[in-house]
Amino acid sequence: MEIINLIFNTALETLLSIGKIALILIPVLMVIELAKYYKVIERFTGKMKGFLSFLTLPEEAAFPLLAGIFFGIVLGSALIIDYAREGILKKRDLLLIGIFLSISHSVVEDTFIFAVFGANPAVLIITRTILAIIITRAAAWLFDLFSVHKAAATAKKDKAIEAVRKL
Amino acid sequence: MPAFTEPLIKGFQKSIALLWLLIKIIVPVSCLVALLDFYGIVDRIATIFTPAMSLFGLPGEAAISLLLGFLVNIYAAMGAITAITLTPQQITILAVIIGICHELPVETIICRYTGLRIPVSIALRLTTAVAAGIMLNLIYTLVLGG
Repeated sequence: MEIINLIFNTALETLLSIGKIALILIPVLMVIELAKYYKVIERFTGKMKGFLSFLTLPEEAAFPLLAGIFFGIVLGSALIIDYAREGILKKRDLLLIGIFLSISHSVVEDTFIFAVFGANPAVLIITRTILAIIITRAAAWLFDLFSVHKAAATAKKDKAIEAVRKL
Repeated sequence: MPAFTEPLIKGFQKSIALLWLLIKIIVPVSCLVALLDFYGIVDRIATIFTPAMSLFGLPGEAAISLLLGFLVNIYAAMGAITAITLTPQQITILAVIIGICHELPVETIICRYTGLRIPVSIALRLTTAVAAGIMLNLIYTLVLGG
């Protein structure tokens, strides 16, 4: 009997907290859909030059990046697949967007849900965004360092082959 | 009918679907954790993870929520959070860790399309999440004085 009471009470409490989530989630998702409908993100893509150049990404990266940050990793990745197919973004840029989004995505929805349970939303968003920026920048630096070395090595090899040929 | 009602309806439908998903995940998980607690299993798991969790300033019980978040999703982690008592500070730290690293079996496969390999993705998110948790705990205890 005690166990049945325990399960009943837990289920009831949990349903109540989901009710609290509903009060926030319904308007948030409605606003997100409105933002998609009115193509709000397209309006911001042009204003992100500074942010993108810090991440060493081209302007074309703005849309999948913003869509992933605000609407979720599934949409972000779907756009990335499209961009990859059409050859709009280089492999390096796709990878960097993937790294950024894997750390920071659907920040609106996630943050609201955590906030209902008592987490501090500002701390959540700021920590995730800063970490995503730092790690993506570091990855870009590492990636470029590696490819410069590779290019230098290939150039050296070509030169050597050329020199051998001349002999 | 004005044009903006269409996205509003879509948003409403999506939130109902998501809420139903939440109910299906959070309610059973929190009941299961309550049962595990009743039989003293939560205490045993907590004892094992207390040293590791103290790095983040969290009680050992929080390990259940972290594991559920990593392996299942944010909502399952929420179900486990409802079953334990935490301060707002601890919930924030837990939320940051789970926010960075969650639903690994599904999301790492999605991220694969960007060229990010699955083991790299897992390692990246786990280390970032752990580092963020330790850092936030340090900031809370050292800078803000607990």
